[in-house]
Amino acid sequence: MEEDQKILDLVKELVLRLLSPNGADSGPSDHSIDHVKALKYAMRILGSRMTPSISVDEAAMAESIKRNLVNEGKSSDALTFADLYAKFSSKSGPGSIHNKWGVLYLLKVISEDRRKEKKSDSRVSSGFFASTVSGGLPLLFDGESDNCRVPRNQKTLDKGWNGGVLLVSKDPENIRDIAFREFADLLKEESEVAEAVLVRDVLYACQGINGKYVKFDKSIDSYVLPESIKVPRATRILVRKLCELGWLFRKVKGYITQSRERFPAEDVGTVGQAFCAALQDELSEYYKLLAVLEAQCTNPIPMFSETEKTGNYLSLRRLSVWFAEPLVKMRLMAVLVDSCRVLRGGAMAGAIHMHARHGDPLIQDFMRRLLRRVCSPLFEMVRSWVLEGELDDIFAEFFVLGQPVKAESLWQEGYRLHAGMLPSFISQSLAQRILRTGKSINFLRVCCEDQGWADAATEAAAAVGTTTRRGGLGYGETDALESLVTKAAKRIDKHLMDVMYKRYKFKEHCLAIKRYLLLGQGDFVQYLMDIVGPELSEPANTISSFKLAGLLESAIRSSNAQYDDPDILERLRVKMMPHSTGDRGWDVFSLEYDARVPLNTVFTESVMARYLKIFNFLWKLRRVEHALIGAWKTMKPNCMTSHFFTKQEGAIKLQFISTLRRCQVLWDEMNHFVTNLQYYIMFEVLEVSWSNFLDEMEVAKDLDDLHAAHEKYLHSIVEKSLLGERSQSLSKTLFVLLDLILRFRSCADRLYEGIHELQARAMESSRGRNKSRSRSTDESLECGSWTGGGRKALTQLAGEFFRNMRSDLDTVANEYSSLLEGFITQLPVQQHVDLKFLLFRLDFTEFYSRLRPSTYVN
Amino acid sequence: MDPEAARTARESLDLAFHMSNILETGLDRHTLSILITLCDLGLNPESLAAVVKELRKDPSSAPTPKDPPSVS
Repeated sequence: MEEDQKILDLVKELVLRLLSPNGADSGPSDHSIDHVKALKYAMRILGSRMTPSISVDEAAMAESIKRNLVNEGKSSDALTFADLYAKFSSKSGPGSIHNKWGVLYLLKVISEDRRKEKKSDSRVSSGFFASTVSGGLPLLFDGESDNCRVPRNQKTLDKGWNGGVLLVSKDPENIRDIAFREFADLLKEESEVAEAVLVRDVLYACQGINGKYVKFDKSIDSYVLPESIKVPRATRILVRKLCELGWLFRKVKGYITQSRERFPAEDVGTVGQAFCAALQDELSEYYKLLAVLEAQCTNPIPMFSETEKTGNYLSLRRLSVWFAEPLVKMRLMAVLVDSCRVLRGGAMAGAIHMHARHGDPLIQDFMRRLLRRVCSPLFEMVRSWVLEGELDDIFAEFFVLGQPVKAESLWQEGYRLHAGMLPSFISQSLAQRILRTGKSINFLRVCCEDQGWADAATEAAAAVGTTTRRGGLGYGETDALESLVTKAAKRIDKHLMDVMYKRYKFKEHCLAIKRYLLLGQGDFVQYLMDIVGPELSEPANTISSFKLAGLLESAIRSSNAQYDDPDILERLRVKMMPHSTGDRGWDVFSLEYDARVPLNTVFTESVMARYLKIFNFLWKLRRVEHALIGAWKTMKPNCMTSHFFTKQEGAIKLQFISTLRRCQVLWDEMNHFVTNLQYYIMFEVLEVSWSNFLDEMEVAKDLDDLHAAHEKYLHSIVEKSLLGERSQSLSKTLFVLLDLILRFRSCADRLYEGIHELQARAMESSRGRNKSRSRSTDESLECGSWTGGGRKALTQLAGEFFRNMRSDLDTVANEYSSLLEGFITQLPVQQHVDLKFLLFRLDFTEFYSRLRPSTYVN
Repeated sequence: MDPEAARTARESLDLAFHMSNILETGLDRHTLSILITLCDLGLNPESLAAVVKELRKDPSSAPTPKDPPSVS
């Protein structure tokens, strides 16, 4: 062939020139044996199956050469080279060099060879050196070029043309070579699909799209390569592992779309929306990564210094490295999505927060970013609640719940904490404080019609340093939140307290209640008792409350109460409790204090009911005391009665005296009891509790404190007055005792009425008989009455009367003593209140304790 | 060969020679032209480079007759 001949000629020429560089002495005839051998050797090398180990890319080659030059520190040469190459590559058309790449490659290899030779003289070591430098182990399998390439290091072995190694290496039967080749064939056989295609498929799958081969399998719920496609087992597993990302992505994406769709119709909630948005942002980061990877996937690996031919930039293995970080994030997101699916609002934030406690800084960072977004609506709610008292929470996500209630129960029931919505990064106490602060603002606004809180809130915000603008707080700034809340709470509470004390005169009203409802104003009570007493003895249904109101009015006017604040007096009213038949006025009469908004927050209906209970007790006690005093007035031993009866005969006189005496003793005993009980109630219950209450009122920082103080005050009064649950039996005994005393009163009244009647009768009879007698002395008149006619009948009558009275009194006395004994023995048993002093006072002379073992006999 | 083509060929050779000098291949102009021609004829540049490398070795250490490459 002509071309072959041409090549041969050229090679001959080349060999000649190479062997004799000067070229002068060479001639065709001058072929030495060396030349012939060299020529043969050259032809053999050329005839070998050596192929370039890199793909044909002229520009990349030039770039690689240039870089080498730069690396050697010859940057000027590199520039010159670049310049030359630019010109060189622009040459085209006839006469130009076609195989430019070949030339460049040739130059490069020769240059490298020369350099290596310079470095070491020894041929053998240079050979090894070359083999190690030029890539170590051969590439096994080349997906694109069909044949198995001769490993590059064989080239270096080739040069051992004078060594035995060459024989083996050139042998096609070379075992290692065969093994490599077989393995490569095996691999090729096993995989129907090229790796590049799989990489692309995996990239698709990771965006939730089915690839050409990698598809989503619903039955096993993951992306897989179908069994029908033949790939090595390792590849299959790798693909499956990589596609976990796709599966997670589907989950997250699905959640987002689902929430988005639900959003207008159902209540996903602002926190849920924020969560979706944050996830969406994370996903777009992920999209960016995928886009870059996809763009990169067809590029070869940029390796200039190496002459190796490389595969595509992305292999499955590289992909697994690239996916390591997104996989962690995506897993986390999927976990969050799973745990948050049913949650909303604060609960959702709390659940996410639970996952933020992680040691891995990557995850910590990610979670912090996410939580900042997720919590922002929540913090915004806290801010507007604490500073403006506004509850803009249409989806009920906030941990404070508002309920539409009447103004008076706004404080107690209007708002409460929703434990389920309280994220764990806000402590319970902080939540309470947040709740109270906002509640205070609302209370001021709704109940007190006060605007001053706005200044307090602004001041608080300024003090903390955060402005009142939106979005000033975020997750992770719990300290800032806490200080904001604390400052705001302090100022607003202080303001609220000021309003309560100064504008609404809380203390004055408490005092008024104590004076009027708890009967602290003695002269007023005395007067009231005097004037309404007769009225109240009537049956309940005949009593007009208007009349009683009038009487109350006059009681106020005629006592020191008239100097009190008219605003307070105006609130004092008569209240008739619902009555049944047979009730007396005493049973239904009570006083009432109209607290009004906002004070009725403290003086709620239930509180007023307890006041009423105390009032009823105290009123009864007063009434009993009043009755005893009334009895005393009639019982006062006056000379008229005593004188009259001392003149009588023995039996009657004895009866008379002993009955009177019995009555007096019983009265004394009762009076002792009532007075001491009264004393106890006054000085050990009311005044002590009041003074404690005053102290606590001083230190109360907010309405809750105030409320608690008042509650304590009321509770201590109720308990100590034996009106509490635990002293029911005691108070029952007490009321029976008081009723008994009232019975005694009527008994005593009857007795004295009887005496007066007897007296009058006797007088009448004597007067009738001795009309003409002058009424010179009363004494003679009275004496005469018993000596006159009908005296016998009268004596008999008196005897009977005294006997009756005597037995009545005995009954009362017996009952009384047994009841009192029961009462006194019960006193020390009461564990919850300190009744020592009451017992001590009642039993001062140890009269009762000495009697106790035996029954009280008259 | 028209003059235009000849000029292009010469210029290309010049450029190649220049590059070769920068890369310190140590080839002279003639050798280089032979190599380029061989390349254009489709010979593998890698084997050509191998030939150059092997033969340019110190001529004194060329194989002696008693140790010929026996396989050829």
